[in-house]
Parts: sequence; C-alpha cells; structure tokens
Amino acid sequence: MYKNYLKIAFRSIWKNKTFSLINVIGLSIGLSAAFVIGIMIYYDLTFDKFHEDRDRIYRVVVDTQGPDQEGHSRGVPVPLIDVLQANRTGIDHVSPFFLFSVNKVTVASSQKEFDWPGDIVIADQEYFKVFKYQWLAGSSNAALENPYEVVLSKSRAEKYFPDKSPEEIIGNTMIYEDSLIVKVIGIVAEFEERSDFTFKEFLSRKSFQNSEKYGYIYDTSWGSISSSTQLFIKTDKFNSKDAVKAQLDALAEEYSNEEMVAMGYIRSFNLQPLKALHLNDNYGVFDSSPYRASADVLFGLGFIALFLLLLGCINFINLNTAQSAKRAKEIGIRKTLGSSKKQLVIQYLGETFILTFAAAIMSLFLASLLLRVFADFIPPGLSLDLMQNPVLILSLLLLLVLITFFAGFYPGLVLSHFKPVSVLKNQSVLDGDKGSLRKILTVFQFVIAQVFIIATLLVGKQINYLINKDMGFKSESIAYIRAPRSDASIEKYEAFKEGLETIPEIKNLSNAGAPPASQSYSGRGVSYFSEGKENHVQIQLLFGDENYLDLYGVDLLTGRLPLNDSISEYVINETLMRHIGFQKPEEVIGQQFKVNDKNIPIVGVMEDFNQSSLREEIEPMAFVQNSQNRTLHFSFQANDTENWPLAINKIETQWMEFFPDETFKINFVDEDVKQFYSQEQKTATLLKWATGLAILISCLGLFGLVIHTTERRTKEIGIRKVLGASIMQLNLLLGKEFMVLVGIAFVIAVPIAWWGISTWLQEFANQTALSWWVFLLGGLGISIIALAVISIKIFATANTNPVKSLSTE
Amino acid sequence: MLINLRNIFKWVQQGGRRVFLLKDINLEVKEGDFISIMGPSGSGKSTLLNIIGMLDGFDEGEYNFLNEPVHQLKEKKRASLFKQYIGFVFQAYHLIDELTVYENLEMPLLYKKYSGSERKALVADMLDRFNIVGKKDLFPTQLSGGQQQLVGIARALIGKPKLILADEPTGNLNSKQGEEIMDLFRQLNEEGVTIIQVTHSKKNAAYGKKIIHLLDGRMEKI
Repeated sequence: MYKNYLKIAFRSIWKNKTFSLINVIGLSIGLSAAFVIGIMIYYDLTFDKFHEDRDRIYRVVVDTQGPDQEGHSRGVPVPLIDVLQANRTGIDHVSPFFLFSVNKVTVASSQKEFDWPGDIVIADQEYFKVFKYQWLAGSSNAALENPYEVVLSKSRAEKYFPDKSPEEIIGNTMIYEDSLIVKVIGIVAEFEERSDFTFKEFLSRKSFQNSEKYGYIYDTSWGSISSSTQLFIKTDKFNSKDAVKAQLDALAEEYSNEEMVAMGYIRSFNLQPLKALHLNDNYGVFDSSPYRASADVLFGLGFIALFLLLLGCINFINLNTAQSAKRAKEIGIRKTLGSSKKQLVIQYLGETFILTFAAAIMSLFLASLLLRVFADFIPPGLSLDLMQNPVLILSLLLLLVLITFFAGFYPGLVLSHFKPVSVLKNQSVLDGDKGSLRKILTVFQFVIAQVFIIATLLVGKQINYLINKDMGFKSESIAYIRAPRSDASIEKYEAFKEGLETIPEIKNLSNAGAPPASQSYSGRGVSYFSEGKENHVQIQLLFGDENYLDLYGVDLLTGRLPLNDSISEYVINETLMRHIGFQKPEEVIGQQFKVNDKNIPIVGVMEDFNQSSLREEIEPMAFVQNSQNRTLHFSFQANDTENWPLAINKIETQWMEFFPDETFKINFVDEDVKQFYSQEQKTATLLKWATGLAILISCLGLFGLVIHTTERRTKEIGIRKVLGASIMQLNLLLGKEFMVLVGIAFVIAVPIAWWGISTWLQEFANQTALSWWVFLLGGLGISIIALAVISIKIFATANTNPVKSLSTE
Repeated sequence: MLINLRNIFKWVQQGGRRVFLLKDINLEVKEGDFISIMGPSGSGKSTLLNIIGMLDGFDEGEYNFLNEPVHQLKEKKRASLFKQYIGFVFQAYHLIDELTVYENLEMPLLYKKYSGSERKALVADMLDRFNIVGKKDLFPTQLSGGQQQLVGIARALIGKPKLILADEPTGNLNSKQGEEIMDLFRQLNEEGVTIIQVTHSKKNAAYGKKIIHLLDGRMEKI
C-alpha cells in the first residue's frame, strides 16, 4: 500500500516538475530561515544548563528606581560582599569575583611575556564551590584561599607553559604587570558545554588586600558600583531565596544614601537566577563578550522565520488546489476501486511529506549560506553542527510533520471530496471552486511581502535621517587619539601634543575628554535653588580645554568660557538652562549650582547639540574646563582629503616616538556617529533579506497561479486571438485578475506597516517623517515585480498559435 | 437475488423545475445474469449504472444489494459492499497513467488489504490469463486502446467481484478489438460473473441474456 503511494508520489512530483520545484524552493527558504533561527534560539537558551544545583545559584544585582528613570546594574557595591559572607542566613556560598584585565603577564621560568591575556577574574575560594570545575592538577579544597595564588584553565596553562604537564605547572611563578608575583596552584578544565563562564585565569582576591593601585577590590564605599564586581550566591538546600531577599532588602535599606533618597532614587538588591543570566537585556552577562543575546532580537527573528514558512506553505496550498484537476482522474479511479477519503488524504499527506523532506534537505544547504549572511546576529560558537543535537533533530522532524499537515491537509481534503462520477465523465470538478481561498491566501502573501518592503524602505529612511541629521556640532574631518592608559606620564603626553602642533595639516588641536557625542557618559547630580527650595538635576559633563568648543563648532550664546583650569565654572547648554527655569541665556549667567557643598557658577550658555545617538533626547549638560584629560582632538584642513593619509602618517610617526609599545589608533568623529546606529544597520540588513526572500516566495507562488490560469484559459485565449485581440489586450485581461489581488494586499499592508514602523520609531527622539511617497513607492515596487512575473507567462501563452490551442481542445 | 431496484426516481432541479433523469425504474438482477442497457444519449443509461454501482445516489425508491438496503446503509458499509462485490470497466479505461500495468492491477488489492504475497500471486494470475505478462512493466500510454481495456477488465476482475459494471466498454475501440472484449465478457459470464453493460451497439447488446431499453429515464421493456 505505502509502496504504491510512494511510487505514485514520486512519479506525480516528477511529472509536475515546475510546480514541485516552486513548492520545494518556497518551503526550503522558509525552512532554512527556521533552521537558522531555531538553532540560534536553542543556542541562546542552553547556556549554563549543566551546573550542579543550578536552581540555587543566583547573581546579586542592583536596581535603582529614580524619579523619571530606572537603572539596572550587574555590579554590586564591594562592602555587600563582606556583609553577606559574614552573615549567611539561607546561603551556602557567597562567591564574589571581579573582572580584571592586565596589559602584561610574565612567566617567570621562561621569561616569556604575554600582552593583554584577557578572561581574568579575581575570585576567592568560594568560586570553585559554587561552580564545579574538573581539576587537572591541584584541588578545589583550599584554592584561592591565600594571597598570591592563581588557578589557570587548561588552554591558558598550555599557552603559558607549552611543554609542561599540569602537575609540572603547579608551583610555577607568574608576574602580573611587573609587580604582582603569584604561584600557580591549580589547573582546571574549561566547561565543555555552553557557558558564559569562560574565564581562564583566577587570581586570589587576597593578593590585592594591600594594593594601592587596585584598591577597589577592597573598596568600602556603599555608594559606588562597578559593573565588574560580580557577586554570586548559592542558597542553602531549601533554596531559601525569600529569606535571602529579605536580608538583601534590609541591607539596601540600612546602607542607603540619604542624598540619593532625597533626590528620589531608591536602590534595591535583587537576585537574578542563573538561568536568566544569558538572556537579560537589563543587566547583560559580564562584559567581555561582544555578542549579546537579546530576547527581542530572537523574537523578531522568530517572527520572520514564521512568516517565511507561512509563505512557503501558502504556495503549497495554492498551487496544489489549483492543480487538483490534474489529479482528479486518479482520485476518481481510486475511489471506484475502493479507496476511502481517509486513505486519499493520508496518501496526499505522504506526498506532501516527501516534498517537505526534499525541501528540508535543500534548506540545510541554504541554512549554511544564511548563517554567513546573518553573521552579525550570530554568536561565534554557533554552527550547523548543532543540528546533530537530538533535541533539534526531533524538533526538526516535528516541524516537518507540522508543515506537512498544514500545507497538505487542505488540498488533500479538496481532492478527496471529488465525486468519482463527475471526474470520470470528464465533467469539470472545479465548477464550485471559484478559487476564493487561493485569492485570500495570495493576498495574505502579498500583504506580508508588502509590509516587509515598506518597513525596509522606512527603516532605511530613518537610518539615513539619523546619519545625515545635523547633530548640532561639527563632526566632519575631526579625529581624536587617546593617549595610552598604561603610560601615565604627563610630560610625555605634553611633548606628544606639541609634536602634533607642528604638523601643518592639522588645523585645530584640543586636549579634552570624550567628543561631544559619544557612547561614554560622565555626569553628576547637582542642586540648585529655585522658587525658594532646593532642587536636584542630573547633568552630563563634558571636559575639554579652551579650544574644544571652537574645534567642534559649538557656539557660545552668551557669557564666556571658564577662565582657567583651576576654578570650577560651568558653561551649560540650553536644555539645562530651560530645565532650571530660565528662558533667556543672559539671565542665567551668574546662577550657581551646589555640588558637595561647593558652589559652581554658570558663566556661559552654549547652544544645544546631541550628546549621543539621535535615539535620545538632548540632555542637560555642562562644559567643564580642565587639563586632566588624555585625549587629543584635532581637525584636518577639510578640503584636502588626499593629504589626510600623509598627515595621519606623520601623527603615527610622532606616536611611535613617544609610545613605541602601544598600538596607534585614530578615531574619526563622523565614523563614531555612524557607529551609534550599528544596531539599526543590522535591523536594516535583516529586513532586506527577509524582504527579498518574502518577495521571492510570493512571486514564485504567483507565477505558479499564473501558469495555472493561463493553462485553464488557453482555449479562451485562442478564441480571443482569432477574434482579433492584441497581445497587450490579452495581457491586460489576464493580468488584471492578479493585479487586483496585489492592490488589495497593498491597501491592507499600508496600515499594518504604518503601525509597525511608528511603534519602532517610538524608540527614537528624532524621527523621520512617514512620508506617503514611501508607501506608494513600496506599492509601486511590488506591482512592477508582480506584473513582470505575470507577463512572462502570459506573453508566452498569448504568443502561441491559436490553431494549436484550439485544435487540442 | 443480487440486485433489486424498486421505483427508483432521480431528478435534478433546473430553473425551479424538476428534470427527471430516471423515472420509476424497477429491475431485478440474479446472480449469473448478463444484462445490456441500451438507449439514446441522455436516456439515463450511465446514471442507472452509477446508481447500481453505488457511485451515485437517487431521490426516491429502494435499492437492495444482496438483500442489504443500500439506500439506508451508512457510507462506510456501502463502501465495503462496493469494494467486495463490484468491479468497474470504463469506456475511457481510466487507468492511472503514473502506474505501470502491474501496479494498476495491484491497486484494488491494496484497498482490500491483501498481503504482499497474495497480491503477487493474484496479479500474476491475471497477467497470465489475459496474456499481458510481457506488458506488465509498461505504462498505460504505451499500450493500444484494446490492450488498455484488457488491463481495465483485468483490474475490475482481480478482486473477484460478483458483479461487473461496464460503461460502454468498447466505445473507444475498433470493431475487432470490441469483439474480443465482448467475447471475453461472455466467457466471464459463463464462469459465473454477473455483468451489466451499457452500450449503444445492437450487436454488442446481443451478447447479453437480457436487454433493457431506456428512453427519457423510463424503462421500455424487459
């Protein structure tokens, strides 16, 4: 029985090559998108699933609720560690660690040096009690309990001590940054399963007990938080997390900062379960990984995959119901020979499964292609190898069955309901079939394609707008260089600066902090008096010398620059001026802010400019003059770009003279600005692909339907031609039917796209206009594509000799 | 009694009026009968045959098949009666083009849940009996009309039906091929198979033991 089904399936698939191909291509595109995205979701959902007692492991995080914003930090105040370690109600282990980086590690025995080794943490003995590693040498019992100890991971140990076995490495001495001398006391194997805990060197915390340079490891301030200070706890065997939370609440209350509370900021310590570590946008994982999983992105991708799959399935349903007349005879015969409807549906589903399976195999190849296209979204450790995982194989099979059912059930049902009598008497079986379902599904396909097109256009327009909009300061032909952090000598820096001043291609030079718009932020809360009471405002601070504002073309509206570095004076922006209740720049001069009981006068007002990406509003800001900065900003002679490489060469020569060991890096401000929108650029890339694929699948389906229609109407076309219809007229007649569908799809798609994009634009303080012409352009675009697809087939049919088509009927 | 039709009426609604396809048909068929139904186009021959074959329903009357009231049976029971006892032969052969001769013959057995070895034996028997062993791997389009109809009859017979219903089995064949097919029918009838055929040709009708004339849906004489 099933062999017979299989045979007939293969033969009829082979007979309708075009349609089978359209089906398989459409499905395989959808499937490959589903594969890739499925793998990504699986990948991101399976981090750190192997730890012993993982339900009892939590990270302590800090949330701040402010008057108009909330803050989330993965780091905790250092004293919290000691308080928790001293009082462990409901807690088995309290494991703090600090993300750490050094510029140089020296292996004492070989005198080999390693620059910027990375993946280093400072931890204590508790770390290895919470996270169980396999010990290749040494043991977890007393590891990191004493000062000047280090545990290495296997790969790191092999890098430092290439010829030694783990046992031989134990006891070797390593020197961090020329000053910290430690002994290797253990080698652990790295976690083999997916984990965010990818640390490779573990220094004992006690090594830093008396360190001046790294005093923050034993910081005593409850007020300051560094995101590199991580605190993990493991609750007791009853998982008393409520008790722990209560204790944390009490601590947050006890050590709250009165000033912050007065300003309306309430801080709380919370427990983040280990399983929520990887996919939480609020806190981030640690900070080393450039790829960050985001549930939102996964959701978006999931939707795209779903839509592409749907489009493929719709093609299937449409083409097969359209083609059903061809199968009708077989169905009729089978019925007179005793087949039941159920058997026919099963047979048909079997055929669908074969096609789906073929599509699945094809999509595996496509998927490896897609993985390359979506490289920006995909973490480095992810590849199709994951497909060997049984869970994924099972879900893949499930997906195939689901698609088979979804795509094959309806056509199968339609076919099995044919009356054998009418089929066998050559009466048309499709009399009642006006194809309304096909029309609805086609409209649906084109709605999706149309929404994608309009969205792509509008996202592109928004990005263009963001990049080209005037930020309020000059960003072209300005660059900056950061002095190396490791070399703190002021004299060297000054000499380097003087060296740059002699280069003729450099027009302006300013010693300052960050450029006017950047991703770095420094700010502070200040108070001011207005209407008789003290108010607070958080302001962003910009540091630079007297040339800074001039270099960036920021105008002073009134007042003057701060007199010199030693006096604290603010030049505020218009937003801050309005925030503290003044409308005219002249009036605000002489007002004072209070910072830590010190008064700082406002001496000038500068015009507003955007301090970060145009997603954000302009924030209150003040310019402060000081000379502690280590970044040199300068502008080139704008007009002779061809001489820039030469100038950059000269700068590099200077750099090598003063900082021969450091890498030279020059940053251009306008490139920095573009960098703000890398997320949007990624969205745009993704949308472009989704759009392309959606159009491709939909047009394949449309093409199939056009073939069907023209085949059905060959006789009519012949008669009309004999009666004198021109090819253009025929094209119009047949094309009209489909263009109406595309038109309806457009009408439905416009509000959906409009709604979607306006929602997306909510994130932006600066939004491009949702111009009507973009929608029209989208509609026109797809109409032209659809028309082209339709015309190809119709022209071919209309061109055939009517004698031929009429005689065969 | 194999078939007993009593007062069968069938009509369609056309523009508010009833157009009768069959009027008051009464027919008894015993096992071993060979009946020819004759009549001009549109007289209702094929409709009657389809009703007997349970492919089509009727609006009034009673139909008993082996003493089972077909008009009262559920779809499933009717299908199983049909599967077990009836074989169809068509004017246009209606072989499945995608299957070989062998596979076409095998198909009815698949629906009757014969085992693989039984199917093999039965198909081989049939091929042998109709002298088409050499053609078993050909597709229908590679055969002549007469050969296709031979396969069609073989397929109708393979399930060992009590009743063969043939709708103008020779309509698409030349006279020599037609004669061969009719001889085959006679031979089958002699072996005990009940046959009801619809035909236009007097000569072919004469093969039957009984001839029924239909005119405008009404039986003229028996």
